[in-house]
Amino acid sequence: MLTLTQGFLRFKPTLPGAMPIRFAQHARFLVVAKYHTVECFSSENDIRKFIVENTEVVQGNHLTPEIKMRLFTPKCRFWRARPELWPFSDPYWAIYWPGGQALTRFLFDNPGTSRGKKVLDLGSGCGASAMAASLRGASHVLANDIDPVATTAIKMNCELNNLKPLPVSVENLIGTKAEDWDLILLGDMFYDTELSDGLHSWLKQCVSTHRTQVLIGDPGRANFENHKIQKWLRELAHYELPLCVTEENYGLTSSKVWEFLP
Amino acid sequence: MSARVLVGVKRVIDYAVKIRVKPDKTGVVTDGVKHSMNPFCEIAIEEAVRLKEKKLIKEVIAVSCGPQQSQETIRTALAMGADRGIHVDVSGKDYENLGPLQVSKILAALAKKEDVRLIILGKQAIDDDCNQTGQMTAALLDWPQGTFASQVDFQEDSLKVEREIDGGLETIKIKMPAVVTADLRLNEPRYATLPNIMKAKKKKIDTVKPSDLGVDLSSQLEVLSVEEPSQRQAGVKVETVEDLIKKLRDSGRI
Repeated sequence: MLTLTQGFLRFKPTLPGAMPIRFAQHARFLVVAKYHTVECFSSENDIRKFIVENTEVVQGNHLTPEIKMRLFTPKCRFWRARPELWPFSDPYWAIYWPGGQALTRFLFDNPGTSRGKKVLDLGSGCGASAMAASLRGASHVLANDIDPVATTAIKMNCELNNLKPLPVSVENLIGTKAEDWDLILLGDMFYDTELSDGLHSWLKQCVSTHRTQVLIGDPGRANFENHKIQKWLRELAHYELPLCVTEENYGLTSSKVWEFLP
Repeated sequence: MSARVLVGVKRVIDYAVKIRVKPDKTGVVTDGVKHSMNPFCEIAIEEAVRLKEKKLIKEVIAVSCGPQQSQETIRTALAMGADRGIHVDVSGKDYENLGPLQVSKILAALAKKEDVRLIILGKQAIDDDCNQTGQMTAALLDWPQGTFASQVDFQEDSLKVEREIDGGLETIKIKMPAVVTADLRLNEPRYATLPNIMKAKKKKIDTVKPSDLGVDLSSQLEVLSVEEPSQRQAGVKVETVEDLIKKLRDSGRI
């Protein structure tokens, strides 16, 4: 905890724009309670302010120019900073993941997929897929992400797109009793074996109990490609990633949408 | 497109650090010293990631042999675009004895286990300057080798490798599976940006022991002494050409 504070002081000159002392103080608490960041900030406004100061509104630099989002870009001062200087748990909500981009593109192009449906966006992150489902006429959308900061980020992204803020849940739903979702969306969720195994059995249960449709967006991550779930997938769409997206995702150049059919 | 590539990444003392020899002359001081990825290994990773981005290969596996900290080097490789990592856990006495032969045996075993079509390594590491691992790995696997590569082109089941040799360039064609070692001009490695570093945390690193791979780490080499290069002696100034010639004559140089 001390190292981080010292780190701020030591590396401050390398950051374009000085880190406000206020955040350096927060940072001390944030490292101790990495996954309880919301409680450590005095108000949601603090988090909002931090998000505004450290992200950029992006539209068009990804597969879905229909929506704007506050994302991490090369113009943000943390882009090239040492990762340990970032005061939150990793801001996966500030990244528009390539799997999520493909899934969101697919929802925009195929409005029937979500129209009138009860939709769960699991591991929602920046909330793009949840917003697309809502914009294409879903009757109910729940964005779910275990990072409490993502809750605020998703709300802010909804506001950017003149959408009424979607309900967001921070509960880890994987392994809980399957609810009657018509559609479950998973963008870039198969990055490690343990999580993939848990997801696989939970999704099987969701499909068998409620005939839920399960759509997965993934850019061909090694763990996903080598996972046993591959036996039960049908490819629905394949998108080439724009250059600016591949630069944020070294080694990845395309992304696909799959339907899980156990 | 279905090929897998194995890339070796060595954790070495950072190139900018001033090296200090231990007082007992058994090696160099490594405790508390900044380490990073061997620069030639960065070039090797970059080349593999570019091949993947051109869709010429399917998966890039970064492997490092050494103590727990080697995982940091693997993380850097993952942030540069490798798909997954393998940490071969070697510590203590075994790590001190770990040389090119032992590492080649490990790489050869992993290449078979992971069914790879290509191994890309740095031509040498900046700590021991051995320049042997690629060659030994190719020999152990009985695979062709393209060393000191400054350009690599895929041609169906073979590779065209441009090699940096004394007095120019040599172009060779080798069949895959093969071993390629990267020279300085092969490419310019990318910078691992924060989003890529964060995403790399979600990539998988498997840890294996050399014994799991059936590799014996015993070494026949014994280090007798490690010493600093001798200090450069101060020169002398002479006033005239005649003085210079006289000095050179006196010292027996001419």
